[in-house]
Amino acid sequence: MAAVQRTLGAGSSLAQRPAALLVSRGFTTLPALHAVAQQQQKPRTPAELLDPNLVSTVSEEHRLIKHQKTMPIGSRRRRAALGSTANIPFEQLPYQCFQEARKVLAADREEKLVQIQTQRERIARLEAQDEAVSGGKAEKRRRLDSMRRHLEELKIWADINDPIVKKKFEDGMGDMNKPVYRFLANRKWHSYKRPLLLQRLTQMNVIPDVIPHLDPVMEVTATFGRPIVPGDFVDSRRSEHPPTLHVQPFTAGSKLVTIVVVDADVPDLERDSFGFRCHAIYANVPVSPTQTRIALREVEKRGEAGLAWLPPFAQKGSPYHRLAVVVLEQPEGVTLDVEALRGVQRDGFILRSFADKQKLTAVGATMFRAVWDEGTAGVMARAGIEGADVELKRKRVAPLPYKKKDGARYR
Amino acid sequence: MPPSSLRPPLRAIFTALLPRSSPTTLAFRLAALNSPHTPSHILSAQPPVLTSIRHATHAAAGRANGGKNGPGPRLGAKKGHDQYVVPGNIIFRQRGTHWFAGENCALGRDHTVYATQPGYVRYYRDPGLHPERKYIGVALRREQTLPTPAGAVRRRRLGMEAVVREPEVTKIQVEKPLEAGGMVMRPNLQFRLGNWQIGRVADGVRVRGFQKGDRFLAWRRREARKARSAEKRSHKAKGKGKAKAKGKPRKVAA
Repeated sequence: MAAVQRTLGAGSSLAQRPAALLVSRGFTTLPALHAVAQQQQKPRTPAELLDPNLVSTVSEEHRLIKHQKTMPIGSRRRRAALGSTANIPFEQLPYQCFQEARKVLAADREEKLVQIQTQRERIARLEAQDEAVSGGKAEKRRRLDSMRRHLEELKIWADINDPIVKKKFEDGMGDMNKPVYRFLANRKWHSYKRPLLLQRLTQMNVIPDVIPHLDPVMEVTATFGRPIVPGDFVDSRRSEHPPTLHVQPFTAGSKLVTIVVVDADVPDLERDSFGFRCHAIYANVPVSPTQTRIALREVEKRGEAGLAWLPPFAQKGSPYHRLAVVVLEQPEGVTLDVEALRGVQRDGFILRSFADKQKLTAVGATMFRAVWDEGTAGVMARAGIEGADVELKRKRVAPLPYKKKDGARYR
Repeated sequence: MPPSSLRPPLRAIFTALLPRSSPTTLAFRLAALNSPHTPSHILSAQPPVLTSIRHATHAAAGRANGGKNGPGPRLGAKKGHDQYVVPGNIIFRQRGTHWFAGENCALGRDHTVYATQPGYVRYYRDPGLHPERKYIGVALRREQTLPTPAGAVRRRRLGMEAVVREPEVTKIQVEKPLEAGGMVMRPNLQFRLGNWQIGRVADGVRVRGFQKGDRFLAWRRREARKARSAEKRSHKAKGKGKAKAKGKPRKVAA
């Protein structure tokens, strides 16, 4: 059945197909008449008959890409749905209950749009109002903030029940400039990735060691070729060059952020303890809901890096090194002096003091780990780092002297 | 139907099954079984059993009521507050967790708290971590107090020393033998064909179908088999010692 419909879709675009052809056929071993006609016109291999709009299994997708050199269109869920149902536009699905429900949703949306309009007018009125009348400057600002927050909520509520919005979001086609898609993305992030990140940061003690506290509001993903899960061990050869970051804010507007990479496990033999080292600082990086990709290598090539990337390394025998990638938000309208940042001392770098000094607040983070591996010596040599010829070994702790008990108890 | 010689013993079994005192005969009982009106107590009639058993009044073995003044499990603190400990030293023995393992300590299989770092024992509470638990920790320095304040950097000891790094053990490089013929060294240092090559050995082999009347082929096969076995036997004879060779000469098929 599905195969027949797929052959059907091979020629014409789905949207333009006449409705008569789209009526589901009953079970029959014979191909549809029009399919026969098509095949007679031009005999084609099965791989050529695959429709990018309808392929829904992995092998079909592979064959399509291999033989037709085209990518499947839209999500697999969408393609499977198209392949197994008649192609009636979503709004026109002939179910009475469905149509009644759509009417209810449409009415609710109308109501929300009216409320948005009202709220906008109220905000405009309050903005125009004299401070003395509205209860002082602070009170006016508080009320305006509250009203604007409510306006954002209304914008989300207007669209949140729209099935098309849900579908677009699932297909990754959501416009992050719109509040409802930002809301959905934020909710999805909160459902799994954010708790996982916080778990890794606290279990591996990045949170008391590197930053005293973190309430992430931006999703940060580091990509060394492929994305890392927070806490991954990254091969030293993979992390020789700076990663590409994806920083996704969930609030409107563009912001400037500073990205700092800190190693929290630098062996300090003199103090018999661990210290910190700064591996990179990138300042004044703009991020917005739609501008999320930060290729740090390109930033370095443009000469905009504060401290250039120092490849993470762990000497042989040392416990794993935790490398925290912290995204700090700069105060509004403030740009940092990149030239001055080049003078920052890498060894003994304390992130909390740096953030305090520059008035930065941590808004997002991720982490990975490094251990000595086959490539570390080469990476250190290429980066001109000394210490590859040193191995760390455990110091023996002298046991307590055994105190022999008095002889009386052994009689 | 069993043979007649077996019949008397069978009857004997049936009569033995019936209680002697019962007036019923086997025929009566079988009739009762078939009848739907038979009262159940007739069917469940059992031979009499012993009704009284003499139980033991005293334990035959083992200690009955003693065993209350043993040595005791010797629980409690083994190291006091501020006492110096090294890794592995037992600080507290307990049943269950009256005390939890705090900083630089660990909890053993039987909830024993022991040290993982050399330092000075601290008994403390950490309301930020848990409002009710009591912890035992090891402070790395004498003047240090526990718990570490929330949000502060952890105080850790490296406990390592730097030595010159030994060169990496390089993998054994064995040159390919001349007669390798496509064989490569496997990870277990064996030279053999790859599995994919072994799998393709049978690709070119053609097996002739069996032909019933082909006696010439059968003769050739038979002769070849004989020759093989003769050769095998001759190897065996060579392998044996002189003493045996001296003895009975073996017949060897030519």
